[in-house]
Amino acid sequence: MRAYLRVAGAVARKDLRTELRSREMLPALGQFVVLALLIANFGFDVGTGGSRIAPGVLWLTITFAGLLAFGRTFAAERDQASLEALLLTPASRAAIFAGKALAAAAVLAACEVVLVPALGVFFGTPVLSLPLAAALVMVTIGMAGLGCLFAAIAAQTRARDLLLPVLSLPLWVPFVVVGGRAVQVALGGGGELNGALALLLDFDILFVVVASLAAKFVLDD
Amino acid sequence: MAPRADLLRLAAVADALLLLLATGLVVFYAPADAVQGVVQKIFYLHVPAAIAAYMAFAVVLVGGLVYLWNESPAADRLARAAAEVGLVLTTVTLVMGSIWAKPIWGTYWVPWDARLVSTLVLWLIYAGYLLMRRIATPGRQAARFGAVVGIVGFIDVPIVHFSVTWWRTIHPPIETAAPGALPPAMLLTFAISSLAVLLLAAVLIGYRYRLEALRERLAAALDR
Repeated sequence: MRAYLRVAGAVARKDLRTELRSREMLPALGQFVVLALLIANFGFDVGTGGSRIAPGVLWLTITFAGLLAFGRTFAAERDQASLEALLLTPASRAAIFAGKALAAAAVLAACEVVLVPALGVFFGTPVLSLPLAAALVMVTIGMAGLGCLFAAIAAQTRARDLLLPVLSLPLWVPFVVVGGRAVQVALGGGGELNGALALLLDFDILFVVVASLAAKFVLDD
Repeated sequence: MAPRADLLRLAAVADALLLLLATGLVVFYAPADAVQGVVQKIFYLHVPAAIAAYMAFAVVLVGGLVYLWNESPAADRLARAAAEVGLVLTTVTLVMGSIWAKPIWGTYWVPWDARLVSTLVLWLIYAGYLLMRRIATPGRQAARFGAVVGIVGFIDVPIVHFSVTWWRTIHPPIETAAPGALPPAMLLTFAISSLAVLLLAAVLIGYRYRLEALRERLAAALDR
């Protein structure tokens, strides 16, 4: 278990350090988020109440930003052929996968740090909201687990950009449904929050366990 | 090892007769529903197709687990055949359900209903599975990816269903669940049509499996 955590931590640190030094993903994702909100702002009839459509805009932006972020984690390794080097080490495949998923989750979380205030500016939603933050953290963890599993599959095929959304989006539906409810409550709609958060936690545990078990077969060569 | 062609043909002929019998029962024997009228008869195709689809996807799940266990190409071939047949049956379920919903609910599609959403997501997951099988390099890698997607996808479906139910549902509960809820004539018709559709699914999977096995044998023979 200690070795597992050490490997996962090292892989996550490596990915985040690469990102901090190259500064490719985060600026691109930040711009993507702002542009998505700009498009939503003109696509929807905001005059009738921006806060009513804000949760939907938030979800569209998060899911597509997630596809970009998770797709890069394995595609970059694949392009540099460094995935093979990583897999040649005696470290467990599950730990390597966990590290990469952790780093990808951190990148998506950083993207949400831009998204939430921008949403507040465009649609007048609350920016500093603990329930909103809690829901987003839990959704990000679960989405990263599943998304990185499929990103690892997609990166090893041709036409990987095509495959990742087709595999990930249907399996993210539970997070979108329950997380969607939690976000609606957090942004001022009626309903119960604790049940939704508890359910999201259950989904996180289930899918993180399933993805770690499956990672061994996906990263095996 | 492929299923024998003569046995498959026998099963296909038997099922054609069974399908004819089921059609006859649905049209002439089963009474029209007191409330819904003749539209309710869609149920005799809609529900068996849904059951057969779930069973086909369960075969994908088991095939995937067996493949990850012992890398048997037969298990993967079975899983792939079942995924294709399951996707067709899910399409039948969705289309029949929509046709039923139009006169009864007044709309083809209710976007927030648990059973409808989970069936649509089921369709999307296995459509993704088949697309992945097409894109991935055939062989061990595609089989392993297929097993993973087949297993994770199957786990996801009840969870999608549960999360939307937790939201809300208007789909009628499974009516056969309560004993005596259906008159015997309806029950008999339903049993025969279920049997016919399930056998059809099995025959289609058998043919698909055989085709794949023959194709692999041909490829191996050409290599030599």
